[in-house]
Amino acid sequence: MAPSEKSRGGEAVVIPGGFAVLSLQFSADSGSQHKLYVKEHRVRVETRTHRPLDRTLFLLNVPPYCSQSTLSHIFSRFGAVVSVELSDRPGSAPAPEVKLSPLFKPAGKQGFKVGYVVFRRAKSIRLAKSHPHNVPLLVSTEQRLVTTGLQKWAQQYRQAIVSPEELQQSVDAFMLQYDQRKEEQAKEQEKEAEEQKEDEEGWVKVTRASKGTKARPHSEAANQKAIQKETRKKKRKELMNFYTWQHRNTQKEHIADLRKKFEEDKQRISLLRAQRKFRPY
Amino acid sequence: MSRSASKSHADKRASVQVASPSQDLPVEVVPGRLTQTQWEDMLRLEDTDDVVGEIMEELVGNVMERCLKTYIHKQLVAFSVSWAKGFLVQALELQFLYRDEGDGPAEASSDTEDSEPMTPSDASHAEEDGGVSANGKRTKSSSNDDGDAVLRPVKLSRKDLYKPPTVEELNQLKEAESLFHCSLLKMQMEELLKEVALSGRRKQQIDSFVQTVTKALQSVPSSPKVELGDLSWLTGSAKVPFILVPAECAGKFHMAPPASVDLVGSYPLGTCVKPRITVDLAVTIPAEVLQVKDDMNQRYPRKRALYLAGLAQHLSSSPEVGSMRYSCLHGNRLRPLLLLTPSESSNFTLRLHACLPPGYFKPSRFHPQRNNIRTKWYTGLESSDPESPEPPTPHYNSSVLGDMLPRAHLQFLSAVSSQCPAFAHGVALIKVWLRQRELDQGAGCFNGFLASMTLAYLLSTHRVSNTMTAYQLLRNSLHFLANTDLTENGITLAKNPDSTAPSLPDFQKAFQVVFVDPSGHLNMCADMTACTYKQVQHEASLSMQFWDDATVSGFHALLMTPKPLARTSDHIFQLLELVKLQASCKKLNLLSELMDHSGNYVHTVLPYILSLLQQGLGQRIHLLTHSLTPDPEWSVEAEPPKHKTQPPLSFGLILRPEYAASALERGPPADSPKAAEFRQLWGPRSELRRFQDGAITEAVLWTGETVCEKRMVPRQIITHLLQLHADIPESCVRYVGAMMDDVINVSHDVLSTGEEDSLKLVQSYDDLSRKLWRLEGLPLSITSVQGAHPALRYTQVFPPKPLMMDYSFFDKEKSSRSLLPKEGKPCPAYITPVTVVCHMEGSGKWPHDRVAIRHIKAAFHINLGELLNKEHSYTCRPCPTHLDVWKDGFAFRIHVAYHREPQVLRESLTPDGLLVVRDNEAAQALEVATVHRPLLTSTLHGIQQQHPCFGAVCRLAKRWLGAQLLSDDIREDAADLLVASLFLHPAPFTPPSSPQVGFLRFLRLLSSFDWRNNPLVVNLNNTLTGADYTDTKNDFVANRDSLPVMFIATPSDKKLSLWTKHTPSIQMLQRAVMVAAESLKVLEPQLKDGNQIQDVKVAMRPPLEAYDVLIHLMPKQVPLIHQAVDPLVVVFSRGVMAGKAGNPGEIMPVIDYNPVSLFLAELRDSFGDLALFFCDPYGGTVIAVLWKPKAFKPVPFKTSEINARRVEVSGERAHTVPNVEAIVEDFRVMGKDLVKSVEARTERWSF
Repeated sequence: MAPSEKSRGGEAVVIPGGFAVLSLQFSADSGSQHKLYVKEHRVRVETRTHRPLDRTLFLLNVPPYCSQSTLSHIFSRFGAVVSVELSDRPGSAPAPEVKLSPLFKPAGKQGFKVGYVVFRRAKSIRLAKSHPHNVPLLVSTEQRLVTTGLQKWAQQYRQAIVSPEELQQSVDAFMLQYDQRKEEQAKEQEKEAEEQKEDEEGWVKVTRASKGTKARPHSEAANQKAIQKETRKKKRKELMNFYTWQHRNTQKEHIADLRKKFEEDKQRISLLRAQRKFRPY
Repeated sequence: MSRSASKSHADKRASVQVASPSQDLPVEVVPGRLTQTQWEDMLRLEDTDDVVGEIMEELVGNVMERCLKTYIHKQLVAFSVSWAKGFLVQALELQFLYRDEGDGPAEASSDTEDSEPMTPSDASHAEEDGGVSANGKRTKSSSNDDGDAVLRPVKLSRKDLYKPPTVEELNQLKEAESLFHCSLLKMQMEELLKEVALSGRRKQQIDSFVQTVTKALQSVPSSPKVELGDLSWLTGSAKVPFILVPAECAGKFHMAPPASVDLVGSYPLGTCVKPRITVDLAVTIPAEVLQVKDDMNQRYPRKRALYLAGLAQHLSSSPEVGSMRYSCLHGNRLRPLLLLTPSESSNFTLRLHACLPPGYFKPSRFHPQRNNIRTKWYTGLESSDPESPEPPTPHYNSSVLGDMLPRAHLQFLSAVSSQCPAFAHGVALIKVWLRQRELDQGAGCFNGFLASMTLAYLLSTHRVSNTMTAYQLLRNSLHFLANTDLTENGITLAKNPDSTAPSLPDFQKAFQVVFVDPSGHLNMCADMTACTYKQVQHEASLSMQFWDDATVSGFHALLMTPKPLARTSDHIFQLLELVKLQASCKKLNLLSELMDHSGNYVHTVLPYILSLLQQGLGQRIHLLTHSLTPDPEWSVEAEPPKHKTQPPLSFGLILRPEYAASALERGPPADSPKAAEFRQLWGPRSELRRFQDGAITEAVLWTGETVCEKRMVPRQIITHLLQLHADIPESCVRYVGAMMDDVINVSHDVLSTGEEDSLKLVQSYDDLSRKLWRLEGLPLSITSVQGAHPALRYTQVFPPKPLMMDYSFFDKEKSSRSLLPKEGKPCPAYITPVTVVCHMEGSGKWPHDRVAIRHIKAAFHINLGELLNKEHSYTCRPCPTHLDVWKDGFAFRIHVAYHREPQVLRESLTPDGLLVVRDNEAAQALEVATVHRPLLTSTLHGIQQQHPCFGAVCRLAKRWLGAQLLSDDIREDAADLLVASLFLHPAPFTPPSSPQVGFLRFLRLLSSFDWRNNPLVVNLNNTLTGADYTDTKNDFVANRDSLPVMFIATPSDKKLSLWTKHTPSIQMLQRAVMVAAESLKVLEPQLKDGNQIQDVKVAMRPPLEAYDVLIHLMPKQVPLIHQAVDPLVVVFSRGVMAGKAGNPGEIMPVIDYNPVSLFLAELRDSFGDLALFFCDPYGGTVIAVLWKPKAFKPVPFKTSEINARRVEVSGERAHTVPNVEAIVEDFRVMGKDLVKSVEARTERWSF
């Protein structure tokens, strides 16, 4: 395979930014190609273990019909692939708090994606980056057909159908987990409350526990309500229209109000006039 | 300075008028504003605090006030001077800015509204602007150019707001507030009057032309006396503007210079308005040309025509006269006119009337009961019965009499108008009002002259006072017209008519509408039909209804909105081939009337046809109107046109929705004396019928199975009556009532527009909802079941039909008993899931976590499904997000909702434990789906109950939006709201009662509404008050920039415009506006004119030239192909069987599977930032693609902007451009088996 490609004189193309360009063609008989931009995955701090820095290839511009398995198949020509991850934009996605069954995962966008391909060996990355530009990678081959269009939609429709039992099971599983979590939280709170009580000798143990685990979270709305209550109280105590200057002030406000209205109308008119809106026909 | 002088004069007048107590308008006290007494209090700055315990305080206050007063007094002069200066400067600026009558370059000046000094850059800009426009006609003020087309919130400095008021200012404010419900209306009227008034330059032109013509007329040469029938003296090419039938006529004629030439009519009175300026010139025929017996047998009218022909012949040699044509006065062929213009392009016409010398004939000879045309002369036959009296000829009489009085009328009106300063303006307003309603032109119109006379009547009877403003005059005239029925009780202007004058009953007997002139002899409404007057009355009362409504923009509805027949009437029909009316004359036995109208059979028959139809349609209609035949115009060298050449007569019906569509006409009992009358009216269609209540009555049953057919019952009635009584064959009646219905026709064999299907669905839904309520064994109870789908409010374009599936057509999924689309077969029939929202009771058991709530909802879906299956054996399929129920051949999609879920979605915990509530997209979307949409659905369902054709209009509108590829921009709910606004705020129309007129008004609304500066407020359930409207408007103005382009406010949503929040974008709205205007332009002529190509679908076929790529789809795989505007002839089998739907235990069919929409979603997800995708959701087989304008601009290489792009390296820099070939290829790949071909129009692309 390799010698024949070399004999065609293909060369890898690297653009400014360090990305190598790979051509990607849907099938052997399609006439045009998408360009994949690949680079070794490199970030300052990688907190996640599933994207090892030396063995992960970062892909840009992955067309919508490339699934994880398709990509894994395509890139296996450069060496064994451990895992493929696709996401809408580069960077790490927030880890889900709880494990969700696939039924309850929100449907993602179907557009172009970025990918992270993890190889078994670091050498594969070099191989991939030096793949000649003019030898396209094929998405759909006869051995591995990629379904698109009607077939794919029919498949999707079939997959969306779940039996009630299956659904019930996943609901039950989740709720069980949820209840456990809640119980644990409750226990923890209880424990904390316990700790904050005085012991027999009247001592309270002061810990560094965060405030978030208090019995009930205080809310922003409640804070605001308290402030409002205070101002209302103040207002009630005040007398309106009692002193002459107050009375005069309200009258002054009235005139100001009228003036404002008059000015507004004037402005509206001048605008309409500018647009010649008074031509009846 | 003349302008400011006149302005101050006007101000004075206004202030005088304020002081006068004789206003019959109550002083409006708008809530939140001050009353008169309060104002006065304020003027005196007196304090009326009567707090007893604070006497001391008051005393001090009084002293302080005195001090203040003296202080202010001292300052008053200085202040007034500075204020006056400011005002003058402003007036000056106004003059420079807006007095642009189109003469020469307009001076640019700074904005008058802001008192900020003009910045240098502004000034230079302004100069440039003025320079550029020196050759152009009009310039806007420079600073108004870009930004100022949008209203901005007014910013007044504190100093401006709180400066001490001057007396003048207070007066001004007070007048604006007490006389009009807002000062805006007053200013608007003033502006309007400025627009329609004639400019000084125009007046000069007119005056000089009149002088020229007068001079030319004075020099008409005399000719020798000849017999009346001898036309040999007419040597030039000018023809006689008169149909000489019968040809024989005794008398002598010769040309002579006119006795006098005077200006008459609106021009000397000052009531002449733009456009169509006509100046009337009365040319008095010298007495020696006439003979004493000339009033007999059309002798005088013929002489008049000959005289005009003589004038025309003389003037044709005059170089000053540009063009000459003949016409006739208000369509009366006995009264020809000569129209003169100085040049072809000038925009005024001089109308020459040939007149009698005043008092030449005794007016008593023209009593409406007198005969002036002898039957013997007219028919040429000896009367069979010489004893019988000759029939009266009232119309002929009034046409001759009318020629003696123009000068007298002018004198009378001038006297009146000199008394009342606002008379001319008042008349101008009424004229504009009439013109917008198409009542001021043509035969039997309510013209400007009648408007002046009406106002004169009101002034002379002291119903209005001389000091009133134009606004009040208009208002009182409309009030008078609305409440006075001139067809029953005529009115007269004659103070003390002489003894020979006919009495009002005499007039009433001869004419349908009676309004007698000051002389007491002439009925000025002689040619008007009762229907026309009823129309005037109807319009006036309609106008009065919305005048005071603070929720309607009264000015626009009243004076700015044109009301053409096609958009006003629910149904319209036309009589083609007017020659056939001759036969009706015979059939109705109208020979003497024909003689009276001098052979104009159209005008003769019209009143009879109208009363016949009125009788037949009875309570089915509110109003029957007819078009006024426009005055014919013909060249001086041509013979006068025949009666039959006039354009077809159009009639309009305003229907009463509750009766209009009933198929049964129940008559009187068989033995009642009225039965004979009923039988006579309906002829053979009348049958004796026995009813369920036991009565046996005469009745007529019209055919009509479906709602759509029943809507056309008026057509059956009209064609039947015309055929039976007037011998007008059906082929002559062109009835336009359901022109658009074809587009939403749901089936091929029956003419039906789907109301029946909707009803079936709603019944099935009601049943389901009842059953849901009654379910037992749920852990929580159901608190509400609400429909949230257009089909449940009758506005789904193609309502779902009950279906039965052919199982052999599908694959099957065994485990959950579902059908699946089969490969290789055409796409199965699309089954719309009808959304139902089911709220569950709140309880502590609900988790307080968004993910957990979703799981609990899924559990409810399973539970509901099980119960429904067990108790009612419906096929159910639960999903995490919904439950599908297959019932009666319909698919319902039930969403369980929990009312606190949006709240939970909004809450989040900050790291330090503070619970914050933040609005977000997800919560809003959920709220729209579970709260707002169900509410909207039930509200609109209510409108459908009140207005039976609401649904049909919505469906037409949405079908149009779909066909024009706009349905993804103006969504269903927004479109329904737009249509709802037509029904809830119809002013100045009545709510539409036919789909056709509703659709036309929808197009008009979309195209003419000022979306930029106004919110469209839809007052559902009539919950908003005027104050709410103002609030909404102020909010809107203040936040215009951040609000949606198309802003629709409803009572439950005053500030956000939920339904148009994301779409349309400004470009798409512009496109929608443009397309709507074009469609209207195509459709309206089709309705009006039978000669046009009759294909309403033209408005439904969008031009595809504008798009960059067209993706053609396989019709086989488009499941809704039968809904296309032009459906295919080939019908694909889609797995549907004939037979009764809704058998228990059916397998779940394929629901909501539409490859086209799946494809579209995928395309938009992938290429949404590069291109726009358009498709008709109702069976469109083309997806149109438009590259975004900026898509092809190379952008620097960025990892976030690389999708579907290709890198181009130049030196060290990398840029990306879209990889177009690959994208076009992707269209094909992603839509495999659905895409037939991709047509890339590369020639259009600009990179």
